[in-house]
Amino acid sequence: MIEQVREHVRKLLTDGQISAFLGLRNQDGNIAPHIFEKPEDLDEGFTLGDVEGRPPARYPLAKLLMTIVSADPDKKFGILVRGCDERALYELVRWNQLPGAAYRFVKVGFACPQELADEHECRKPFPDECVAGEKAQPVMNASVKEIDAKALPERLEYWSRVFDRCVKCYGCRDICPVCFCNVCTLEENALIRTGDLPPENPIFHLTRAAHMAGRCIDCNLCTEVCPAEIPLRTLYKKVAEIVQEDFGYVTGEPGDAKSPLNFLGPDPGHTSAHD
Amino acid sequence: MRKLLAFSGVDPERLLLKWVSSAEGPRFAQVVTEFTEKIRILGPSPLADSRTAKQPTAGMASEAS
Ligand code: SF4
Ligand code: SF4
Repeated sequence: MIEQVREHVRKLLTDGQISAFLGLRNQDGNIAPHIFEKPEDLDEGFTLGDVEGRPPARYPLAKLLMTIVSADPDKKFGILVRGCDERALYELVRWNQLPGAAYRFVKVGFACPQELADEHECRKPFPDECVAGEKAQPVMNASVKEIDAKALPERLEYWSRVFDRCVKCYGCRDICPVCFCNVCTLEENALIRTGDLPPENPIFHLTRAAHMAGRCIDCNLCTEVCPAEIPLRTLYKKVAEIVQEDFGYVTGEPGDAKSPLNFLGPDPGHTSAHD
Repeated sequence: MRKLLAFSGVDPERLLLKWVSSAEGPRFAQVVTEFTEKIRILGPSPLADSRTAKQPTAGMASEAS
């Protein structure tokens, strides 16, 4: 699979269709995002994130693209996408964070294996167009149903217990591909007391959950990075269900539909990277 | 918000969002009185214990001084 992707990217770079490619690179066993500028760079450590015996390394590449595109307005970039990365790109476009999207980047997609889709309870484990990989079956929201089946006091007991493990590292926010605000409510002392550990619960977590309404694209990165193993995404999946029921809005789809929480705000074309 | 509260185990009846214009003083008073009555009937919040226990932390004291 990796060879098909690599050769596809090589062609894009050689033909001059893109100036550079945002992907992942394995350097001495550490995988990190990397900008490949020349076709021959692809022969050094180019990876899809796979690591022996562990789930593949994933990064919020869409959010990185946001910064790269605004820093280099004349160039067109290629970007490596799984299903989740593509949803993040679609959502960032809808939130005006990737102006001129259509001619600013080219997606190079590949499908995730069923095993990974199951592990991440992924609603669409493949991008619209795949250069490589077999499309796996989408997985539905079993984790949400589990909580829905509990009685009110049991739910409170459950969430209080997991929320109280939070060390307030802000990892969930920092890794999130659609958390792009320059000023974050979670750091406003007037709204959520700073300096407390665990943070004010459930306010800290419900605030983040409310802010993910009409935004979270269900990539599961937050849950994956949380050092306290808090099942955050289950909460955000529920929020997504509510937004769909009440407003008919689904995140991470193509088109220019506006999130019900994005009617007010700056003019189209304004990005927080420009602030 | 109410649905999210219910999912996290907090009685959604404890939240009221109502639009009251600044010109409607008596209506504001009425809405608040009614809601206060309702909360009184529902009793103390199940979150109250953990919150009051955490209030007088060192962090809070130093911020206040
Ligand atoms: S990543 Fe986990 S521990 Fe860190 S702030 Fe988020 S919920 Fe808390
Ligand atoms: S799953 Fe978590 S990291 Fe991914 S978009 Fe939703 S909130 Fe952000």
